[in-house]
Amino acid sequence: MSLGHEHNGDAGHHGHGPRVLPASLAAPEEAIKAWRTRLLIVGVAATVISLAFFMVQGGPVHILRAYLMGFMLSFGFAGGGLAMLMLQYVSGGKWGLLLRRPLEAASRTLWLVAAMVIPVLLLMKHLYQWAAFPNAQATAAAYAKGLMTQEQMLTANAKHAMLSPSAAIVQTVIVFAILLLMTTLLNRWSLQRDADPDAGSQSSYDRWRIKFENLSGIGILIYVILMTDLAIVLIKSLDVTWYSSIYGLQFLVGQGYQTLALGILMVILLSRYEPLKTLLRVTEQHDLGKFAFAFTMLNIYLCFAEFLIIWSGNVPDEIPWYLARIQGGWWVICSLDFICHWLIPFSLLLSRDLKRNKKKMIWLTAWMIFARSLDMFWLIEPNFRDAAGNLRLSGNLGILAYITVPVAVLSIWGAYYLTELMKRPLMNVNDPHLEEMLEPEHAH
Amino acid sequence: MPVREGIYGLLAEFNTPGELVVATEEARRAGYRRMECYTPYPVEEAAEALEFHKNRVPMVCLLGGLMGVTTSFLMETWISVWAYPLNIAGRPLFSWPAFIIPAYEWTILFAGLSAGFGMLALNGLPQLYHPLFNAPNFRNGATTDKFFLCLESVDPKFSPTETRSFLEQFHAVSVVEVEL
Repeated sequence: MSLGHEHNGDAGHHGHGPRVLPASLAAPEEAIKAWRTRLLIVGVAATVISLAFFMVQGGPVHILRAYLMGFMLSFGFAGGGLAMLMLQYVSGGKWGLLLRRPLEAASRTLWLVAAMVIPVLLLMKHLYQWAAFPNAQATAAAYAKGLMTQEQMLTANAKHAMLSPSAAIVQTVIVFAILLLMTTLLNRWSLQRDADPDAGSQSSYDRWRIKFENLSGIGILIYVILMTDLAIVLIKSLDVTWYSSIYGLQFLVGQGYQTLALGILMVILLSRYEPLKTLLRVTEQHDLGKFAFAFTMLNIYLCFAEFLIIWSGNVPDEIPWYLARIQGGWWVICSLDFICHWLIPFSLLLSRDLKRNKKKMIWLTAWMIFARSLDMFWLIEPNFRDAAGNLRLSGNLGILAYITVPVAVLSIWGAYYLTELMKRPLMNVNDPHLEEMLEPEHAH
Repeated sequence: MPVREGIYGLLAEFNTPGELVVATEEARRAGYRRMECYTPYPVEEAAEALEFHKNRVPMVCLLGGLMGVTTSFLMETWISVWAYPLNIAGRPLFSWPAFIIPAYEWTILFAGLSAGFGMLALNGLPQLYHPLFNAPNFRNGATTDKFFLCLESVDPKFSPTETRSFLEQFHAVSVVEVEL
């Protein structure tokens, strides 16, 4: 009885030969358009429901705060996408090639995100004390009227150089201008790389790799600085008295967490259709799952480190930030944040089988995006005087805008993201990792 | 101790990892379960063909980790609340935030040690004698350039004659009987 195997090697044996690159690498347009339509329906419905909150007492301010939350989450995807795009250029690896086009699409949504910041800047005096009382006379008057505490007055005056309406606008413009420049360059080069006449040769591989590395290395540093600045101006300064040197890093890791969750979600959903049906191997999905696990750990590490240091110090300047987020019902949100953000993803991602299972990873990554949103709610809402240490629903129905407005903003952002995703083939072909990705699983 | 007699199994020698993997997959398909691959370097496909990843080490590691976190947290609680109650900056005796870091460290320590020692316990190492070293080609090749598949005689499907002819249909360099 002969099984007809060749003597040397296992060519022809089921599942062991290299796979064939699909003829078309174009994104599956029909499927993506269907997803986009669904997102737009959700977005419109959520917008309509949000409008109803204008009629509720305290509704308009909550809509604005919730919009800020939706904006910051969208910025997390777009900026986080840009940062991870640069990260995979400097680190290399097949996971990076797999995520590259979805990350590029996310980074190109920065144009939309830059436009989305305009309402926040126009209405900033309703959000930030430093914008409502933009100079020393105004803060003194506000203090006299009891609208500011003495500490808020003094810190707002001390931070005036960075936190004033004109300074905030200048910083936002600089941040977005530089990020958009980097986005444009990286996205343009990526197409030029595929169109290179020498594509597939070692010299072409090296030339492009070095070109991308040279921008991405310094780009990551620039991104971290600019993103920290934006997070301080737009979110942290909602409490003008608050200091925390870990704040930027926390946002960076949070962005990595949500971007990676979205990236995994997208490649798994897209793997129902060619070309990713062929190109997504369990090996890379497993690697991405481990990466998400690392971000889950790093995220709680930073959050807890910040808390532990402030708890140990027990200084009156610092602890109100936490007291406002723990007392008066906020304990529930705080605990849920810990459970949703860390405990559930951590426990589940321990499992090897789960990381390799497409269906379960779809649910888990969607959950992680929700958990990040819950975390953002916990960061934003207790900054305001009416909500600090006082979470309530009765007489405060406007707080429900935190559900509908971010859904609307994220759905519309998502629709734009999918439009950008359709514009390019889903794989960057002039990259030596592509050949490895077509090899059988676990080929060493 | 009684002297053990008989054969340990049939050992097939291959020149390439690909041939080894094919033979292993076919052997599983034919119903053999008590078998092992021996390669000079890790061959993931062989591990997969043996369905090797399903073992109890992860469970031992998880239980170790849970034991670590519980032990440490309870120990700290006992020390701070009952054994040596100290007033530290006026905080409550049960100040759980301070307990988290050691509890975390103990989780990692216990999980790591459980994974390491659990792996050794479950795979039977250290082992001073193994029958396979009775085969001269195994002694010479297993750590250099040969790939071996051993079908063990404890398998109910094992038969000295049929298993030998089963293994000989692959392009094995040799199929030898290994004594206990």
